[in-house]
Amino acid sequence: MHSKEIIELNNHLREELTEENKKLYENMIIYIRTTSNKSEQQTEEVLLEILEHFVQAQKDGKTASEIFGNNIKEYCDEIIHEIPGEKRNKNIKFGLFIGIQYLALISFIFGVTSFGINYFFDLGSNVLTFSVGSGLVVIGCYLLLLYLLVKIIFKMIQKTTFLNIKKWVEFLLTWLFLTAYITLFYFIPKLIPSFGTTLSIPIIALGVIGGVLYLGTIVVDRKLRFTK
Amino acid sequence: MEMSLRSQLLKGILEGCILAIINQQTVYGYELSVKLQQFGLTDVSEGSIYPILLRLQKEKLIEGTLKESPSGPKRKYYHLTKEGQEALKEFIIQWDSVKIPVDNILEKGGN
Repeated sequence: MHSKEIIELNNHLREELTEENKKLYENMIIYIRTTSNKSEQQTEEVLLEILEHFVQAQKDGKTASEIFGNNIKEYCDEIIHEIPGEKRNKNIKFGLFIGIQYLALISFIFGVTSFGINYFFDLGSNVLTFSVGSGLVVIGCYLLLLYLLVKIIFKMIQKTTFLNIKKWVEFLLTWLFLTAYITLFYFIPKLIPSFGTTLSIPIIALGVIGGVLYLGTIVVDRKLRFTK
Repeated sequence: MEMSLRSQLLKGILEGCILAIINQQTVYGYELSVKLQQFGLTDVSEGSIYPILLRLQKEKLIEGTLKESPSGPKRKYYHLTKEGQEALKEFIIQWDSVKIPVDNILEKGGN
């Protein structure tokens, strides 16, 4: 069974838990899944196994602490520690895939909206002029920024899952990170001095390249199942 | 991960017991925990078998296969590999070499 099918099975079976147990189990899932450097297949297999155990134990009138002990986080750490580690290779490929898709989406949205604004409202320019050197640095910074955002959010989820943090605190933190992200996203191109050969391309070309690249990643994903 | 002697001892013994039970028949997780409890190992929280099952799989001592269970849902059933049978034999030898001396010492110490 592929991990996606196991996840579906899990979503289904989870409904058999009582509200309280379901909440506890979902916290376990979040915590274990966000520890991302482990094999997804193995992770989902053991999550389903634990869920099946939990459901059956619940039917037999057992409590969560009888099953998992009194320290759920410690129990999850133990599980994570024993899940076979994913080959780094796949993580790098996955990261590369997400990075390309992200850049393609940015170019598509930026290219098309800039073109639209110029075409319909005669604002801005229909040509994008940039220097190759700083362009590459900006792309590098954007990728780094995405990487950091994902890392920070994952770390935050891991740290707070079992702490019963108030919803508004969580919201505030997320809002803060996103604001920082958008601010940096906006200012990075302005802060990097231009160097290297200057190029000019029609802005719609950027949109088209981004769009084609994005569609390309979707096709590749269907074939190689990076995200499935 | 730092572990106390007590929990290390317990883990090693639990591993051996799990190998022994799986050797008698293929079992799935819940079944295994029920059997352990029936044998009187009630001090161990049920869930602690899963980290051990993962480790035994990593060490290739057991293998799990997803099979339809009589009651419907697919379950992961475990069986021993050749290496697992070897490891079980090894455990039995080691256990025997410890069990009798320890019993003797404790009896004397109790007097």
